[in-house]
Amino acid sequence: MVFERDRVSALTAPARALGVHEGMRRGGVQLLAPQAHLNERDILREQTTLQQAALALLQYTPQVTLAEEACILLEVGASLRLFGGIRALCRKIRVTIARMGLSATLSCAVTATGAWLLARYGYVRTLSHRSLQRRLDRLPVVLLTAARAHLEWLHGLGCRQLGQVQRLPRAGLQRRCGKDLLAMLDRAYGAAPEVHDWIVAPPTFQARVELPDRIEHTDILAAYAQGLLAQLAGWLTARQLAIKKLRLWLEHERGRQAVAPTELQVALSVPAWQEDHLHTLVKEKLARSSLPAPAIALGLAADELESQQAASEMLFPEPGGSAEDHQRLLELLVARLGADKVQQAAPRADHRPEVANRWCSVMQSPASLPASLTTDAARLPPRPLWLLAEPLPLRMQQHKPFYRSALEFTSPPERIEAGWWEGRPLTRDYFTARDASHAYYWIFRQWRGGEWSDEEPQWFLHGLFG
Amino acid sequence: MLTSSSPVPRPEIIHPSLWLASQLARGGARGVSSGFEALDAELPERGWPPGVLIELLLPQEGVGELRLLRPVLARAPATARRPPQAGRIALLQAPHQVNAPGWAHMGVEASRLLQLQADHAADACWAAEQVLRADSCQALLMWQPRLRKGDHDLLRRLHVAAQAGQTLFFMLRPLSCAREPSPAPLRLTLKSARDGLEIGFLKRRGPLREQSLFLPLLPSPNLQRHVTPVDRRTPATAAAGSLPSELAG
Repeated sequence: MVFERDRVSALTAPARALGVHEGMRRGGVQLLAPQAHLNERDILREQTTLQQAALALLQYTPQVTLAEEACILLEVGASLRLFGGIRALCRKIRVTIARMGLSATLSCAVTATGAWLLARYGYVRTLSHRSLQRRLDRLPVVLLTAARAHLEWLHGLGCRQLGQVQRLPRAGLQRRCGKDLLAMLDRAYGAAPEVHDWIVAPPTFQARVELPDRIEHTDILAAYAQGLLAQLAGWLTARQLAIKKLRLWLEHERGRQAVAPTELQVALSVPAWQEDHLHTLVKEKLARSSLPAPAIALGLAADELESQQAASEMLFPEPGGSAEDHQRLLELLVARLGADKVQQAAPRADHRPEVANRWCSVMQSPASLPASLTTDAARLPPRPLWLLAEPLPLRMQQHKPFYRSALEFTSPPERIEAGWWEGRPLTRDYFTARDASHAYYWIFRQWRGGEWSDEEPQWFLHGLFG
Repeated sequence: MLTSSSPVPRPEIIHPSLWLASQLARGGARGVSSGFEALDAELPERGWPPGVLIELLLPQEGVGELRLLRPVLARAPATARRPPQAGRIALLQAPHQVNAPGWAHMGVEASRLLQLQADHAADACWAAEQVLRADSCQALLMWQPRLRKGDHDLLRRLHVAAQAGQTLFFMLRPLSCAREPSPAPLRLTLKSARDGLEIGFLKRRGPLREQSLFLPLLPSPNLQRHVTPVDRRTPATAAAGSLPSELAG
């Protein structure tokens, strides 16, 4: 229940069922519904919330403006084709509003003032001028803010609906009620042009939301972050920017047990502006992080930005998904598994197998690595598909290396002698070997006391031929 | 008149995805050739079916499972895309470190490989699902150790995710999983044999095949292309020389 100047101004359905109604005093409410939550109306917060919602809705059209009585007007004429028609667009807008944690009544009409009147009455979608006129005729006069001052007089005349006001003689009406009422009516019916001050996205983005309670669960935090990301997406679209790095911070309890805010950085390898993609990344990031203390507020800032690159669509889309899809997949995997767990191959031209087999994170661009010489693979002697992290010493049985069973050589030796320039000389003879169950291995022989000493060489298993 | 044993002589006339239990399913006709004539003839849809969970059950790592997949993995799909994007192969939970030069040797360029490691089985399944959903890789190879009881929903979930795309999805599991139920429509057991691989058909869309299929496969065809050794009397050269030459490719 919300109070404004000690009178009820908004209330929930259960409170209404208990007999509370608008305009009631605080004492009466406490008598009827003692367990109700009583809140004071905060005009400033209402305004900020509306501003935030308007910012988020910039995703759908650059022409967004705020109207009286908590309304946001969107000019969607140019967006219909892009978003797949009015129904799809309405659905998307409703999803965005819900993600912000708000609820809204959506109405569409051919005039902005008409849509504004309809939205405050209920959910109405009119697409033609005639149906708008029919709908408007039936609306109560109360909705017209310019007519509020003359409401009793109009009701006394028997004018309860806009249609009846419309039929009154214009000259007399203007003399009695002033120009505003007629001008508003004309704008609603499309008889006069409308002028709006469209919202302009701020030059930098920073958003913050206060949480209703102290929250520890990262899932719930992700839901609140979604509202912030919706604003970010609107802002990015309006300014034709894409984000490379975003920063999310969680504010903790202030005061005696003050804890510094936790900061989470989400870096993207390819700039993105899609809300869903950003949300999945932030969600995974949040799920992986642990909070030192419950959070009381959530903030979001855009750190590194780039201008948006329009994706080129193909006439015949390929089944494998686009390169952007793959980048998005990689980012998602990195967000959950960690950058060191998603790797791409960057083989180096070196004869030592463990040096040649180099892997790096996919977030590193291959161009930034030291250049790798491409050796003609087919000219090299056999190489296994798996390499053991550490060569496994093999014991000998009847002068044959033994791994699960005695190994039998299937190839001539390959001498690899390298690494002397790094002070770690390495002399190995590699063989392909086969065990009793016909699995193939890559084993090597290392001389301990030099090649010509009497000592037995040590055998190691280094790889598997899959 | 139709006999009772076969009410419809050719059910595929009614609908392409219908088949008799005595036939191999040929409805999809979108199988990716495995590169082995003998195996293609035994697989429904004449090859590895994309967008389906394919289970390969192995007694141990390295019996020749990758040799079996070599033709299909080495062949990048012919697309207009730039080379680094074409035919990526994701390796999830690989049992050992992947040796990129070895794969390059096999015909898979290093730039096509993507190695994923997850700490938990749940993370691995999640990653597999994401890869399948994105449908931007040519193939996904996932090594899945024995599942705990109650985790079998994961397999079903992955199979459903696979159906959304065209990714070739191979799951490599230990042979002990053969007795467990699985939603995979194609389950093969692999066993290494002398100079080849024994493939057992555990489950397929087609008649039961009791005896296993022998595919001649060498660890790497480059054994033959090996640098000619100075000493020709080594036993290895003899083994290599005894190979039929048509298997060299």
